Amino acid sequence: MVVLATLWGFVPFTESCHIQQPILAALAVLLITTSLLIPCWHAMINRVERHMNLNTLDFHSKLVSEIDEKAKFLHPINSSATNLARVLASSLNGSADHQLSFSEIETMVAPVLFQALSTVTYLSQVSYIGLEGLFFSYYTERSQTFALYSNSSFSFDPSDPNARKKHISYIQSVNNETGKLYGKAIESPPMSMINTSWFQAVLNSTTYGYASVETGWNNAGDLLFLNSARINGGGVISLGFPVEALTAIFSGTDRDQDGGSLYLATKDGKVLIDQGLQNTHMVLDSNVVSIQLMKPNGDQISGVGNVSCNLIDGNPRASVLNIQEKEYTLYCLPLDIVGVQSVYVLGFPQNGLVRLVHKNKKLALLLLILMIATMVVSIINFVLIIIRAAKREMHLCAALIKQMEATQQAERKSMNKSLAFASASHDVRGSLAVLTGLIELCFDKAPPASELHSNFRLMDTCAKDLLGILNSILDMSKIEAGKMQLEEEEFDLAQLLEDVVDLYHPVGIKKGVDVVLDPYDGSIIKFSQVKGDRGKLKQILCNLLSNAVKFTSEGHVTVRGWVRKPSLQNSIIASKKNCLPCLFYKNSQAYNDLEAMNAAQQDPNAIDFVFEVDDTGKGIPKEKQKSVFENYVQVKETALGQGGTGLGLGIVQSLVRLMHGDIGIVDKEIGEKGTCFRFNVLLNICENISSDAAKAEAHDIEEGCPYQMTISTPNPALCIRTPSPKLATHCPSPKLKASHVVLFIENNERRRTSQRFMEKLGIKVSVVKEWENLLSILRKIKYKHSTAKSELSSPNEYLSRSPSSNSVSVEMDMPLSTMDGSDSILSVFKRTTPRCTSSFILIVIDACAGPFPELCKTMAEFRKGLQNTCCRVVWLKKPTMCSISFKCVEDDMMDPNDVIMSKPFPGSCLYEVVRLLPEFGGTLQGNMGRQKRESMPEAAKMPRDLPSSSGTRPYAENSQIVEIQDHSGSSTETPGKKVFSAIQNLSHVSPLPPKEPEIQGCGNPSNEKFLSGKKILVAEDNSVLRKVAVSILVGLGATVECSENGQEALLLVCNGLSDQRKHGSSNNLPYDYILMDCEMPVMDGCEATKKIREMEKDYGVHIPIIALTGHDASSAEAKRTIEAGMDAHLVKPLKGEHLLEAIRCIDNKGQHV
Amino acid sequence: MDGVVQLQKQLVDYTASLFHEGFLDEQFNQLQQLQDESNPDFVVEVVSLFFEDSERLLNELGKTLEQKTVDFKKVDAHVHQLKGSSSSIGAQRVQKLCIAFRNCCEELNTEGCLKCLQQVKHEYSLVKNKLETLFKLEQQTIAAGGSIPTL
Repeated sequence: MVVLATLWGFVPFTESCHIQQPILAALAVLLITTSLLIPCWHAMINRVERHMNLNTLDFHSKLVSEIDEKAKFLHPINSSATNLARVLASSLNGSADHQLSFSEIETMVAPVLFQALSTVTYLSQVSYIGLEGLFFSYYTERSQTFALYSNSSFSFDPSDPNARKKHISYIQSVNNETGKLYGKAIESPPMSMINTSWFQAVLNSTTYGYASVETGWNNAGDLLFLNSARINGGGVISLGFPVEALTAIFSGTDRDQDGGSLYLATKDGKVLIDQGLQNTHMVLDSNVVSIQLMKPNGDQISGVGNVSCNLIDGNPRASVLNIQEKEYTLYCLPLDIVGVQSVYVLGFPQNGLVRLVHKNKKLALLLLILMIATMVVSIINFVLIIIRAAKREMHLCAALIKQMEATQQAERKSMNKSLAFASASHDVRGSLAVLTGLIELCFDKAPPASELHSNFRLMDTCAKDLLGILNSILDMSKIEAGKMQLEEEEFDLAQLLEDVVDLYHPVGIKKGVDVVLDPYDGSIIKFSQVKGDRGKLKQILCNLLSNAVKFTSEGHVTVRGWVRKPSLQNSIIASKKNCLPCLFYKNSQAYNDLEAMNAAQQDPNAIDFVFEVDDTGKGIPKEKQKSVFENYVQVKETALGQGGTGLGLGIVQSLVRLMHGDIGIVDKEIGEKGTCFRFNVLLNICENISSDAAKAEAHDIEEGCPYQMTISTPNPALCIRTPSPKLATHCPSPKLKASHVVLFIENNERRRTSQRFMEKLGIKVSVVKEWENLLSILRKIKYKHSTAKSELSSPNEYLSRSPSSNSVSVEMDMPLSTMDGSDSILSVFKRTTPRCTSSFILIVIDACAGPFPELCKTMAEFRKGLQNTCCRVVWLKKPTMCSISFKCVEDDMMDPNDVIMSKPFPGSCLYEVVRLLPEFGGTLQGNMGRQKRESMPEAAKMPRDLPSSSGTRPYAENSQIVEIQDHSGSSTETPGKKVFSAIQNLSHVSPLPPKEPEIQGCGNPSNEKFLSGKKILVAEDNSVLRKVAVSILVGLGATVECSENGQEALLLVCNGLSDQRKHGSSNNLPYDYILMDCEMPVMDGCEATKKIREMEKDYGVHIPIIALTGHDASSAEAKRTIEAGMDAHLVKPLKGEHLLEAIRCIDNKGQHV
Repeated sequence: MDGVVQLQKQLVDYTASLFHEGFLDEQFNQLQQLQDESNPDFVVEVVSLFFEDSERLLNELGKTLEQKTVDFKKVDAHVHQLKGSSSSIGAQRVQKLCIAFRNCCEELNTEGCLKCLQQVKHEYSLVKNKLETLFKLEQQTIAAGGSIPTL
């Protein structure tokens, strides 16, 4: 119970009582059981012990009584001597009162003696001793009976020593049967009995005999119990019983099974049996036996103890002694053997059962207690551990709760902070915008070229920088708040890429870095019309590009884009490999395109676009590549003149992820400088058929000449997806040589990409790296052309020789469908057969690559020798290049047909250059009439009205002009595809008046009465707003009803619905649309909408309701309106086009439903 | 005829200045576009409606804010109305002030509200004057026999 109490002390009751209660109960039960068990057990063991003791005592007393019994059994022997004496006395018959002579003895006494010897058991010696010294006895020794006798008497005079000398005894053998003596009598030393004590005692004893222990006559001298009696005052009869034989009776008792010991001694101290313990010696001393320890050699060591032989109430007393580290129970009892008073000691070792039980009782108790103690201790430990664990758990729980609270708080704080941050930045932006506005105002007023003017300019720049930084921070917080949303719009991806590159080209040029747009495999052009967030994509590209330009001091920056083949479709493509073995001889690039096509066809809506911005700048160290995308991290914080907040890449990453893509740094090969960022975005491909493209195609077919072979895509879907600038391609007739393009561009990267692109189109390209080589290469070409001309009779040979034209011929032989599916670029650049059979050489020269006059001279020389071969030169001019150099030389040197381009080459102008080729719709040299040179003031000076020569196609001139207009349009960055596509139209349909493009946009004239015949209910509390809305709607041709709050609107709708029912035309709606302001008195818009929706259920109709709020489309308020059941949401103030858009949207939805 | 041209030019300049100074925004253009032969006085009607509405609202606002315990809900509702009508005629400066006003309302800041009310009143009277001048000019132009030039 103490333990229990301490336990309770340990346990804080309030904390963990639910755990400890069962444990404590178990403990209590255990303790109670233990306290009951131990006494029980103890009592039981005691009983057993008691029983054992009783048993042992019983056994001992039995043993004692057995010995007593045996002694009693020997009792008759006591009287045997007296009986014999009586018999002898009667046989002597009175003669006994005188001294018998020896002869008398021999004749009368001896036979009786012999009879006694033979009859009485145990008897081993019998003798008659006369008082005068006559003596006769029989004794047995080893089953032979001997007689010992003394036939001479002696005078009973003790004072005469001589008399004794004469006394002689004889030993003679005796016949065992008859008792006769025989053999020779042997003299033996005289025996004197008379003087012995026992003889005297016999003589003195009157009635009974006397018993004593004496040595026998025989040679061994065995101890004998002598029982003697006197014959009528005459001689003495003595019977000797061997001690050994009698004591054997006692020693044969079953005490041995206990390992007990027996000790027998006469009262006068003669030891008869000493079967006692080893090395002990017992000494009898007047009723007390003292036990002494002996050494093996017989020396006495010490006394051990005494055993009293006095009886207590007739029972022997047990005394316990410790002898040689063993306990013995000793009993001492008197015993009468053949009349000899003796004592025996019985000893039992205590190592028997009792001792065992006695000993083990303690041990077992000890063990039991120990066990219980162990159990208790272990249970306590267990409980303690559990308590400790529970405590710890509780502490942990508390800590966790605290931590969670802290985390929540921190999150809340952070959230609040970012919200506050966002709103603050918003305000700051507002103020900044005002600032810039003000600066602009003042800027205009300040006198130009004054200090004020330049200060204003600086201020303006600073403010704009500040705005940029702020915008990035705002973007960041917007993304963090998860409020960044993508705005879906259609745009031209290729155009976007080019715009971005064009934007950074001048910046790069200023630093001496070239920004190159790599058309790669042309897949972007094919899928250029996409739907996505144009602004954000542009932001991403601009950010990466500006970084690339910023950190590149020499070399170039390349922007690449392509459509990725989704990896999951590889298996499908792999299976297609086997189906289309004919594809195997196409080159691998074409095969890749096929894969891309497959991907596009299988998932027509979402396409994975990959972009790479690759620079040759200082690069980003490997270990920092991961952290660059984290916010506020810059690779080198103190980069001079390369400031920034470090937010750019973080925003870029967030934006890319928003577009379901990812951004990373591509590992460059060792030795290559710079960094290559690669990201991919998912964009939807536009599904609307752009009418102009379709029409252009239709027209192409319509206009097709008998020998014109239009390889247009038979798959209409493909046409739909490729509304990008199409090039009408004139396929060379089999007899025509392919065009040859000579590229002379200084920049490696540009040259490489341009060359690759053109080769992919199947154009033969020669590359000139240095201007000194230009002439030689031109000569070679010239030579080749002249030889080719001579071989015109066998044109097939030539075709097989030229790899590029070879590929064209292969395509010609192929089934149309395969070809269209296999080469994406070719499907973009349509081929058509030209009407002219002369070969065409196009030379693209970088005007800065060498001394300009030299180049002009070279070209002039080259032209001179050409016959029957058209040659055109495209001059590439840098925007920074001084135009005067052109001016001075062009008059005499330059051919009027030369084209001058000032744009970075691989870009949209690349396509234009390609379009110049006859295969792709270009005209031959002679056809060139007037040419407008874009961005060249000198263009006006060019001779414009050269006489047009043979084979002029009426629309060719227009085509040229239009193309260049297109170019200039894009160079001035006129966005919007409408202009672009209209021009495209023109380029294909030029002889006809340009068709009106199908009107799709909002706010077009056709929207004028879009809503005519529609009935619209306006619920708006604000009279001004109401009036505006009404007039807008009326202007659109609608019939309008008004209500001032939700209640009224509801009533009107209700009435309308019930009227409809009355008239039985339940299919018509009372109102075609409802414009509902959200915040109105009496009943607000949301509530009214809910009620209207409920009411509609009864009628099974759905009136479209358009919400009007003063909040953003992304705000919670707007969501609430949609939740309330409204169909669309418009931001106040109401605008006609927004409304129409919403109505169209609703109508479309309705149709789908 | 010169007078008419002069007037027209003045009108255009004045309108442009109104836009430039931020009194009016795109919405006003929208209104003007809605005006046609069938509805020749549309803009004037709407604007005068706005004036009525605004004056009423401003009065009410003044009254509400003078009370000891200001009913901010009511104030907010009024400001909302004012904001709505000002935005629908394109009086963007009034509209922007209304936004600030509403923020004050949300903070239950009586002082701020009063200040905002003053500003709104000021801005309102400004825009009212401007618009009235504009209409006067227009009337003069029409009276002189010219048409109202579109921007």
